[in-house]
Amino acid sequence: MVLEGQWHAAGAAASTKAKLHIIDKVHYSLELETGKVLSGTLSSLHIGDRLGNIARKITLEDASVFTTKENDAVDTLCKHTSKINTFIHTLESKLKWALMALVLSIFTMFAFFTWGVPWGSKYIAHALPEESNQIIAQHTLDFLDKILFKKTQLDKLQMDKIRTHFQKNVLPLNKENQKIRYTLHFRDWSEGNLSIPNALALPSGDIILTDKFVQLCKTQAEMDAVLLHEMGHVVHRHTLEMIIEGTFVSVAVMLIVGDSDGLADMGVGLGSVLVSASYSRDHESEADMYAFTHMLKANIDPVSFSTIMQRMTVYIEKKLTTNYQHKTSDDTRFDYFSSHPNTATRIEIANQFSNCYKKGLSTCNIRIKEK
Amino acid sequence: METLEFEGNGSEYFKIWIVNVLLVILTAGLYYPWAKVRNHRYFYGNTTLDGRNFEYHATGKQLFLGYIIAMVLFIIYIVIQQISPIGSLIVLGVLFIAIPWLVWRSLKFSLKMTSFSNVHFGFTGTLKQSYINFFLYPLVFLCALYILPIGLTVALPMLSGVDTPSWLSLILPVIILLSMIVAFYMFALMKKKNTSYILNGTRYGQGVFETTLETKKFAMILLRTLGLSVLILGFIALLIGAVVYGTIGLESLMEMQNAMKDPQSMPENIGSLIPIIFTAYAAMILASMVIIAYSMTRQRSYVYEHTTLDDKITFASSLEARPLIWVMISNLLLVIVTFGFAYPWAKVRMTKLMVENTLVDTSYGFDDYITERQEEESSLGEQIGDAFDVDVGLGF
Repeated sequence: MVLEGQWHAAGAAASTKAKLHIIDKVHYSLELETGKVLSGTLSSLHIGDRLGNIARKITLEDASVFTTKENDAVDTLCKHTSKINTFIHTLESKLKWALMALVLSIFTMFAFFTWGVPWGSKYIAHALPEESNQIIAQHTLDFLDKILFKKTQLDKLQMDKIRTHFQKNVLPLNKENQKIRYTLHFRDWSEGNLSIPNALALPSGDIILTDKFVQLCKTQAEMDAVLLHEMGHVVHRHTLEMIIEGTFVSVAVMLIVGDSDGLADMGVGLGSVLVSASYSRDHESEADMYAFTHMLKANIDPVSFSTIMQRMTVYIEKKLTTNYQHKTSDDTRFDYFSSHPNTATRIEIANQFSNCYKKGLSTCNIRIKEK
Repeated sequence: METLEFEGNGSEYFKIWIVNVLLVILTAGLYYPWAKVRNHRYFYGNTTLDGRNFEYHATGKQLFLGYIIAMVLFIIYIVIQQISPIGSLIVLGVLFIAIPWLVWRSLKFSLKMTSFSNVHFGFTGTLKQSYINFFLYPLVFLCALYILPIGLTVALPMLSGVDTPSWLSLILPVIILLSMIVAFYMFALMKKKNTSYILNGTRYGQGVFETTLETKKFAMILLRTLGLSVLILGFIALLIGAVVYGTIGLESLMEMQNAMKDPQSMPENIGSLIPIIFTAYAAMILASMVIIAYSMTRQRSYVYEHTTLDDKITFASSLEARPLIWVMISNLLLVIVTFGFAYPWAKVRMTKLMVENTLVDTSYGFDDYITERQEEESSLGEQIGDAFDVDVGLGF
């Protein structure tokens, strides 16, 4: 067998035409255009890995280099070397393998983001010691006080009443994790002339209720429903999970974008926003579930959750309507970007739980309808 | 003058790319260094001049340790960023200080790992110069851009009491304008110095690259780019403003802005804005592509024409803005409609355009060049730079 190519002396740019003769299974001789002949055993040659059809590089014992475009012929020479690379090249050169790789890649990526990341994050979050919750929540309340909240306008008597009720009636419902120390905080949260009704939970067990939320609660059951929802976030370690999920997504994004240009960044950025929002919606639904199941056990009608949710939505919409001409819309187009599940869906589930409650059941199988 | 050629093609690269993607996924990212090597080898190996090709020599094994360390640092950064705003500021500060080192290590490593016609490139720039170029100049530039005007606007009224005298309100705009001019000049100077640092430090075997650039020329290119940007962005702003005013009116826009303050109500209210946001976004992408293409092709031509190898081999760029814009836009559309899977074709098209618009005077030949002995380089800096998206190259 004869291969045609170029020969470079070690480290030199200058090259001469050369022919590589494979004499038998053991020996080769390299005949340069200048008439010079180099020879030796095949096993002393270092044959470079194949990649597409770029010029193949064969390094001789004296570090001089023979390059040739005759890749297929070289392949027959090096059957015994580097099995892994031959395998990868086989994948790369056959269209059906490449298509298989394409399908497999899409499937694994889908599986990774739909099941792998949430499951892995949950596993890691619950494997971490209790202190990690304290660490991540350390300065959060101070930080929120500085940038978001003002002092509460509620009177002390009312706050004490809520706290006592929480300690005596709501806390005992939590049987999952007795180590968490829950504390209620009251704050005012206003944006412009809009006082925002909301409840937030920090991983440390600090639950913050805004003034407007307390004012909007008409019954004890309504407040308990929301408190249980927030406790659900704490018990399920959702903040930790979010951090771990965020890390997974960022690392995956880095690997996908890799050393490519800004072009790919945009699409990947949008994708990671959608994925993160979907994880957040799952957490909300999980916290809802926690609240509903505990309400059934504690003999509280889960309809209270839907009542307070509706009242909060109506309040915000009404507030906006008095300021501007506001058209209420049931726009579901942006649901994929939202950090919370669709309110109508949440209310629907609460009502199903309420039906179970009215039948006197302590557990409930619900059907979640897709929109 | 002879043109460089690119011999790769999209479908061949697609197969290499998709196998890389699959193996990276199946090995939970551990295969990444080997994938990177295969990508680089493919693009270098298919770039030829006068029948000789480039080569990328790093091996996956060589990159692996640096890659693992870079990943650990990256994960620590992501976690800190999420749990502590102050912590992430500190990390960004550390990164800002580390950038010159990362750039320097990257240049040393990646040039050493590159060869043309069996002769390796090299980099002899010093770390000290890297700090002057990638730390000191950017710092002065940022000072001129932000700190000077903001500081003066805040500090001057305080010094002169509550009621600001009228001469002060006259002098403030002048100061701001002046600092803008300083910032602009600093930016041009920075561009020139950075490019010179990289090119003048580059070696080809025993051969020395040399570039003679002037700040004035960079400033002119930047000034034209700025003018073009103002024109295009102004036009887009006017257009979108007119569309918004014509379709939904100012009132409902205010209302939406208010509604956005509550995170839970946002999705319900923003619906009618979708088409406008979409158009505005598309227009902005288009505009930025035009601006980038203009600025990049002008700088490329200027730098190439003023660079030589050993004072005899000269270079030139025949890349023009229009074909570049076309490839950028069509690539973007291609990648979007295929959910990213046309990326290999896009990448090959872009590389082909760049490579085949690069001209080298080959009349002196390269036969006299031989590889210089160089020290071993670790890939750590290059890998960290890669993970944190530190842009090392000249952008062309």
